[in-house]
Amino acid sequence: MRNHKHAMMALAFVTIASILLAACAPAAPVEVPVTVVVKETQQVNVEVPVVQTQIVEVQAPSYSKPHPILSDLKVRQAIAFCTNRAELIQSVYTWLPADQQANLFMDTNIPGVSWAHYTGPETTKYDFDAAKGMALLEEAGWSAGADAPAGTIRSNANGDRLSLKFTTTTAAFRKTWSAVFVSQMKACGLEILALYAPASWWFGSSTGLRHRDFELGAYAWVGETDPKGQTLYACNQIPTAENGWAGQNYMGWCNKTASDAINAANNSLVRADRVAQYKIFQIEFTKDMVSLPVFQRAEGNAATLDLINFRPSATEYFTWNADQWELADGRDTLVTGQSQEPASMYTVVESSASQRFPAQLVFGTSTTQVDYDFQASQANLATVESGAASNNDVEVKEGDPVVDSSGTPTDADGNLLTLTAGLKIKTADGQEVEYAGGAVTMKQLVVSYTWQDGLTWSDGEPVVQADFELAYKNDCDPTSGAVDYSLCQSIQSVEFNSDTEYTVTYKPGYQAALYFLPPIGYYPSHQVLSDGRKLNDVPTAEWASLKEIAETPLGAGPYILTNWEKGVKMEFVANPFYYKGEVKIKNITISFVQDTQQAVAQLLTGEVDVLDSSTLGAGDEVQTVLDNQDILQVHIVPSATWEHIDMNLNVP
Amino acid sequence: MVNYLIRRIFQMAIVLFFSAAASYALLNLAPGGPLTFLTSVQRRLNQEDIARVRAYFELDLYLPFRFSRWLAGQPQGPIIVGGQTYLADFVVGCRRPIEVQVRSSSGKIETRTAGCQAGQNVTLKDLVGRRSSKGVIFGDFGNSWQITRDRPVSIVVLSRLPRTLELMVISISISILIGIPLGVYSAIRQYSSFDYVVTSLSFFGSSMPTFFFALLMILVFAITFKSFGWVYLPPGNAESIKDYVIPFIGAVEAGTLLDKFLHLIMPVTVLTLFNVAGWSRYIRGSMLEVLRQDYVRTARAKGLIERVVIAKHALRNALIPFITLVVFSIPAAFGGAIITETVFNWPGMGRLYFDALGRTDYPVAMALLLITAVLTVIATLLADVLYTVVDPRIRLS
Repeated sequence: MRNHKHAMMALAFVTIASILLAACAPAAPVEVPVTVVVKETQQVNVEVPVVQTQIVEVQAPSYSKPHPILSDLKVRQAIAFCTNRAELIQSVYTWLPADQQANLFMDTNIPGVSWAHYTGPETTKYDFDAAKGMALLEEAGWSAGADAPAGTIRSNANGDRLSLKFTTTTAAFRKTWSAVFVSQMKACGLEILALYAPASWWFGSSTGLRHRDFELGAYAWVGETDPKGQTLYACNQIPTAENGWAGQNYMGWCNKTASDAINAANNSLVRADRVAQYKIFQIEFTKDMVSLPVFQRAEGNAATLDLINFRPSATEYFTWNADQWELADGRDTLVTGQSQEPASMYTVVESSASQRFPAQLVFGTSTTQVDYDFQASQANLATVESGAASNNDVEVKEGDPVVDSSGTPTDADGNLLTLTAGLKIKTADGQEVEYAGGAVTMKQLVVSYTWQDGLTWSDGEPVVQADFELAYKNDCDPTSGAVDYSLCQSIQSVEFNSDTEYTVTYKPGYQAALYFLPPIGYYPSHQVLSDGRKLNDVPTAEWASLKEIAETPLGAGPYILTNWEKGVKMEFVANPFYYKGEVKIKNITISFVQDTQQAVAQLLTGEVDVLDSSTLGAGDEVQTVLDNQDILQVHIVPSATWEHIDMNLNVP
Repeated sequence: MVNYLIRRIFQMAIVLFFSAAASYALLNLAPGGPLTFLTSVQRRLNQEDIARVRAYFELDLYLPFRFSRWLAGQPQGPIIVGGQTYLADFVVGCRRPIEVQVRSSSGKIETRTAGCQAGQNVTLKDLVGRRSSKGVIFGDFGNSWQITRDRPVSIVVLSRLPRTLELMVISISISILIGIPLGVYSAIRQYSSFDYVVTSLSFFGSSMPTFFFALLMILVFAITFKSFGWVYLPPGNAESIKDYVIPFIGAVEAGTLLDKFLHLIMPVTVLTLFNVAGWSRYIRGSMLEVLRQDYVRTARAKGLIERVVIAKHALRNALIPFITLVVFSIPAAFGGAIITETVFNWPGMGRLYFDALGRTDYPVAMALLLITAVLTVIATLLADVLYTVVDPRIRLS
């Protein structure tokens, strides 16, 4: 009886729990229980359907009026002249030798070593010159008075103080150099009211930077081998309440010459044309001084002195030239430390940096991006200039598959685009038009990608045409587990010509600047799995969970992944069939060391031989390895990440 | 006793169910998750892309059904009885929810779901053919989301478990071997110099943050000793990847017993110091309490020698509350020590849990939480049973 009572009580508990859990399910969409719907914050291409019973428009600031201080070019240039960037760099990189601190200096929006960088005589230079800065402020009507002591805050004829709000994050790194910046401005008579906001607010989707809620704002961009820039500086990229805060031109800067140049630079396929357009842009960018580049961050990479040909780069993973590495002391095993462990070796579902390191060892590289440029590892880059690509005029009519003017192959619902009335497209002459009907001429890219002869799988089988066909079939299959299929959806057709070449015809309108990077790799179609099936016959949906794909994939790179002990290490041995010849270091092990201090301790005690910037970082640990250069080689590389101060030209 | 055990096991099942449900709900309702991560790295997603990713991680199912599939592997589709299909169109989720952006009373703009777009409901018949675990009650924890993407959670858990057991069992054993005698002797010699020293060391061990003490050890015994050419200890890992040479000891081959022993010294010392500090104080307090009891005075009055009084009459009674501490070190032994394992790069369960939370790998985190919950309720039962063994006055009914 008593047990029966307990059983009944337990049943009651379970029932109540089920009811509570069931209550978590969302109710039917009968009514939205909110009163205010804000039609703001349009994020990328994700359309947000809004269904509601009541809409109350929130009056959002439009930022249409010129800023009373920053709209004056002289003031902006004065801020630049009064900024001693060397001092700012020194404040955060005290451990860095002076000559290496100078390498971090930035004078345009593109790092100095990039192919697109330009600082010829036409660009405006802003070497530190406080006197010149103060003279510009005087000219702009901001005076401190004839006998005022240094550092007196200036004011104009109306008695308004020269005071600006400076917003950035609470990160200690930024607070440090910001404090120096504030004192430098004060020395020129400019009052800076520093606001150190939480990153969640400053970079929030509907707050801070995105809504242009700042006067001077400091943060970082991450530079790339292709400088891009259209979304940051074009006139149509200024976030406003009217456009749902779309775009990243947070300064509100619209210079037609610069805007046209950055658009052209981003949409041309010919390197020479792009260089010319980036030159025009940088001349305008430095002249108008709407965003002051401050410095590139520093990244530390360290390795044992015995390692030869270790050459880290800011824009490429450090294992890019592992096939050229050599150990001077004749050891045959090298251990690299890595803070993050990859989730899978299957590139379709895992493309993080932690996966790229081992992937470069196993699969090799088709193209590298060392020092802000592209290098073909296996054949020539498939560019228009090399003759491997052609950009043809084609006539398209209603219903034909196309890519829209933003380069997107689908609508917001994921349906493939066809030419229909109202669709924005780019015509062959580069004009953006709204399609109204009839036939139009658009550009169509046809690219032939050629791979190196002699590519061989690590089991000795040659790479053949069927391997490329399998990669195209698998990677573009919606069940592959990939997130983004836009590249697949931009392809009109693929013709596999031989064991080393295929030709891709893209849909009209597809004009991506990185068209020369091969969109299709290769998988070992001949591989027989442990369950007896051939890889070619395995449904795509299963690939992500296959041990032969996710953990010990076959590759054609310099090394073979032989063992992956989760949470501990990955072991590689030299691939005897590597097409460039067998490598000098016979064994490489990646040891997973999550904590930076532990990683440095292991480097100093010789447990690991290499730490790249993603593990070593740019903090005090770099100082530690610099202090041990008698046993270590240390490479300080100017990072692709660069700090800058945006100046908002508008107020609400 | 049998009735008691049956009742307790039934209660344990209920506790575990609620514990699992609460943990699952908390993890799944917390901000973040794989979709947030993916949308932050992929800027060109359309609605279909997002819907596909949601379905991949089962985020398109309502929480109770997601929980049910995780727990018992059901539902897998409509109910089929005698060839007849029932509830095929029963809604269990939504592929594309309607999202509205609203301004809360605090002025913050938030995105909330408000129902499902037309034709985007997920029904029971849509679950047919979907991959699903057999359910944790059948020993299948499903596939990892991040740490070993799409590979079974059990693989990664089993790869870490031996390392954690090795570290924790050794440190707990040493802690007991040192902590009990220290506590007993301190109690017997209360207010002696020895007692003051042990008390001071206990306070030091309790108040010293584990991570700081660990870093200090690495700095001194690994880096500094190595730079001076003295005998040094490896700074981390469970074993070395390559062979190395230690002054006065000579060449140490990676993976040998000596190599493993050298790697154990520092993490075991840190954990042992922490445990000994607490446990010796506990034993000391318990012993002092017992030593004041009448039956101890009676034993002494009977003329028993002091060693027998302490060992047989006092210590046995003083250890009864200590059972609670010891049995609860069982889940700790399996759960690992998050901070110590992280600082020493020990590839154990604690570091795995830390990774799982940091990388929003909820299947792995849930597996670890559930294992800890199971071990905790078992430890509770074990403690209750052990009380009856060591203390005849306690009867379970």
